[in-house]
Amino acid sequence: MTTMYREADWAVPARPTLGRTAVKWATSTDHKVIGNLYFITSFLWFMLGGLLALLIRVELFSPGIQVVSDKEQYNQLFTMHGTIMLLLFATPLFAGFGNALMPLQIGAPDVAFPRLNMFAYWLYLFGGLIAASGFLTPQGAAGFGWFAYAPLSSEAYSNNLGADLWIFGLAMGGVGTILGAVNFITTIICMRAPGMTMFRMPLFTWTILITSVLVLMAFPVLASALLVLGADRQLGSHVFDAENGGAILWQHLFWFFGHPEVYIIALPFFGIISEILPVFSRKPLFGYKGLVFATIAIAALSVTVWAHHMYVTGQVLLPFFAFMTMLIAVPTGVKFFNWVGTMWRGQLTFETPMLWAIGFLVTFLFGGLTGIILSSPALDFHVSDSYFVVAHFHYVLFGTVVFAMFAGFFFWWPKFTGRMLDERLGKIQFWMLFFGFHITFLIQHWLGVEGMPRRYADYLAGDGFTLENRISTVGAFILTASTLPFLYNVWKTWRTAPLVTVDDPWGYGASLEWATSCPPPRHNFTTIPRIRSERPAFDLHHPEVAALDSPTADKNVLDQLLGEPDIGREGTGATSGGARGGGSA
Amino acid sequence: MHVLDPRRPSRPRRALALRGLVGASCAVALSGCSGTVSRGFLPEGATTDAQRVINLWNGSWITALVVGALVWGLIFWCVVRYRQRKGDPDLPEQLRYNLPMEILYTIVPLFMIGVLFFYTARDEAVLVDTSKSPDNVVNVVGKRWAWDFNYVTANTYESTRQVETEGAEIGKLPVMYLPVNERTEFVLTARDVIHSFWVPAFLMKMDMIPGRVNKFQVVPDRIGTFTGKCAELCGAYHSEMLFQVEVVSKADYDQRMVDLRAKGQEGQLDNSLNPSPLAPGEAEKVPTPTGSTS
Repeated sequence: MTTMYREADWAVPARPTLGRTAVKWATSTDHKVIGNLYFITSFLWFMLGGLLALLIRVELFSPGIQVVSDKEQYNQLFTMHGTIMLLLFATPLFAGFGNALMPLQIGAPDVAFPRLNMFAYWLYLFGGLIAASGFLTPQGAAGFGWFAYAPLSSEAYSNNLGADLWIFGLAMGGVGTILGAVNFITTIICMRAPGMTMFRMPLFTWTILITSVLVLMAFPVLASALLVLGADRQLGSHVFDAENGGAILWQHLFWFFGHPEVYIIALPFFGIISEILPVFSRKPLFGYKGLVFATIAIAALSVTVWAHHMYVTGQVLLPFFAFMTMLIAVPTGVKFFNWVGTMWRGQLTFETPMLWAIGFLVTFLFGGLTGIILSSPALDFHVSDSYFVVAHFHYVLFGTVVFAMFAGFFFWWPKFTGRMLDERLGKIQFWMLFFGFHITFLIQHWLGVEGMPRRYADYLAGDGFTLENRISTVGAFILTASTLPFLYNVWKTWRTAPLVTVDDPWGYGASLEWATSCPPPRHNFTTIPRIRSERPAFDLHHPEVAALDSPTADKNVLDQLLGEPDIGREGTGATSGGARGGGSA
Repeated sequence: MHVLDPRRPSRPRRALALRGLVGASCAVALSGCSGTVSRGFLPEGATTDAQRVINLWNGSWITALVVGALVWGLIFWCVVRYRQRKGDPDLPEQLRYNLPMEILYTIVPLFMIGVLFFYTARDEAVLVDTSKSPDNVVNVVGKRWAWDFNYVTANTYESTRQVETEGAEIGKLPVMYLPVNERTEFVLTARDVIHSFWVPAFLMKMDMIPGRVNKFQVVPDRIGTFTGKCAELCGAYHSEMLFQVEVVSKADYDQRMVDLRAKGQEGQLDNSLNPSPLAPGEAEKVPTPTGSTS
């Protein structure tokens, strides 16, 4: 057997030096190590993107130009803020959580293609570095907005090197994302442990599977559109020329990627929430199959709604895209009610992961409601490209990605590192972030409705936007400061927290990762427990409950289709002759 | 499904209920609060279609907030009522699903978006309808980072420059004139990159796309000065691409056109000045003062 590798090893002094650890990590094919690399890299990007956002907010504190040297530099700030947050932070964070957890949750020793896995990470790392390296060139980074509309992104209107670096760097990173998705899908289809049927997979693994399918739909379109844009700029092709209708062609291609991308960075985080709520409610997930089908429905609808980003172009069929967009509210609503159903009549405790999960519910809900407003073209005409949209997508994306990221970090930190993060610091961080976020972004809805366009480096004193912008900027400082307790928490935990000695420090963990040590051995499990339901670790640790846990008797067709996950008949409860446990697959 | 929710109102009844709700809340807002709240914080409209948008906005928001209050309420209830207490049994009932409930909260939202879609489709069709014959046509051309206003009907033009935002005052921005109570058609084109034509008081915007021709119509219904902005990123000085609309009486409007002619601004700064031509088939959509196409 290979050497047992524990991530916690490097934390203890007199163990392998930092240099040795770096070499070990750089040459590893262990999905847990690669997961950590994704976490660290994407979190560094998150902090950089956050600092860019803070500069934007400071610039908008007063009318006039105070911080940036010229307005083009301001454009570069928000372009790179958007690029970093969407493509270098949120998307790789999905790969991070997927790598760190998915093989554990299905009882696999590693992913299907470990070397490809590491290759995908290097593509992401260097692609990202290339995309952002425009800041180091004399004319600065790309400044045409993260959706790079043609013809603004053509050589005629953006002839800086930073734009080319952005285009080719992102194309390179995009290939990494595609390879990662191929790897995830193959692993989930082919490497589940005996007994782990599809309808026993944890919801998080389901979201990784469906998200990966979405990646395969969306990212090849982005990567090829970027390469064609690069060809227009570098090789003299004319695909996105305005006289050929290229301005609208680019928007179709970009948003055919761009809208599924929103769900690529939302679904896995819905998965995280679906893992955490049951543990701190001491109940199984409510409506498991409903959640699976809702996730599939959201993914399917997400490739039919891209043109709702293009309502004001006057070039799309409004009723079709409006209706498809509104339809997404239905499966999203199902998810919300299932999450509420999970907490309903539970025994809730409010450790930090649960706090973050509830913060997610409360915040994301408002983003969903403004999403319904925006789905209506008649209303979108006025607020499109205004601060209302900025506020909306921060509620949706920050509400999902950041809240669920911290929920996941606090929840799985012992599984990743063998140590528990500090609860008190976590709660301080949560409340700072929660109030900072809402102070920053709630007010922006009013700004947009009253007429402040997004991507404006400046506004007039007479516009009447000053006070609202100042409130937002104050919130941004609180929001930024909330990262400090987290960084201190990570350092403090690394240096002083005791090692976790049990498999499941939370006590009610359901999925398989809670049935192995913290952190797990090199190939994840020394033994795999019997898998007879969607929560094998819970069955293992609470055999008295599992003994009573049997499939529903007398299932009708609806029960079969929409009811509980596959539950084995090993329980001692009453079973009926007609019931099929479904555990034989 | 009938068994699950026999009291579900039919679609027309729901629509009526929505209207009632909107009407009631508008009445409450109008009687109790300022005008800003009664129009859902939207700018005061300056066109005949503005009230249509405000009504849909208010109705949608009230419905959305009712749904929001329900779900926030349920979350809050769970947090308060179902927190772990001393004396709780070891574990709560391990309930996994409840099909009638799940089907209920799948079907009911479906009807709710049906209602929203009905009103959306109705209103959005009116906002983008260009079938009526306009009294006045303006070809607004976006260019980095200002506007050319071609008054097609009067055969005059105005070319503007970007606004230095520091020290700029609302009321002294480049001006587009419109006659009040006349149907104006905006023909939107762009010379270089994508721009977007936004007059917040019209509660409407539309993109100006190089190579393409976009149109929409408004009937300004009150005299006044309203700010206009570019709403699509167009480069470094995007935020300086400002103007103002002056809605004036027909007599004043005619006088402004005479003034333009006196300054020698007769004719059009048409789209043949664009660095790249319109896409095939688009040029015919731009009206000209003589009625023919150019």
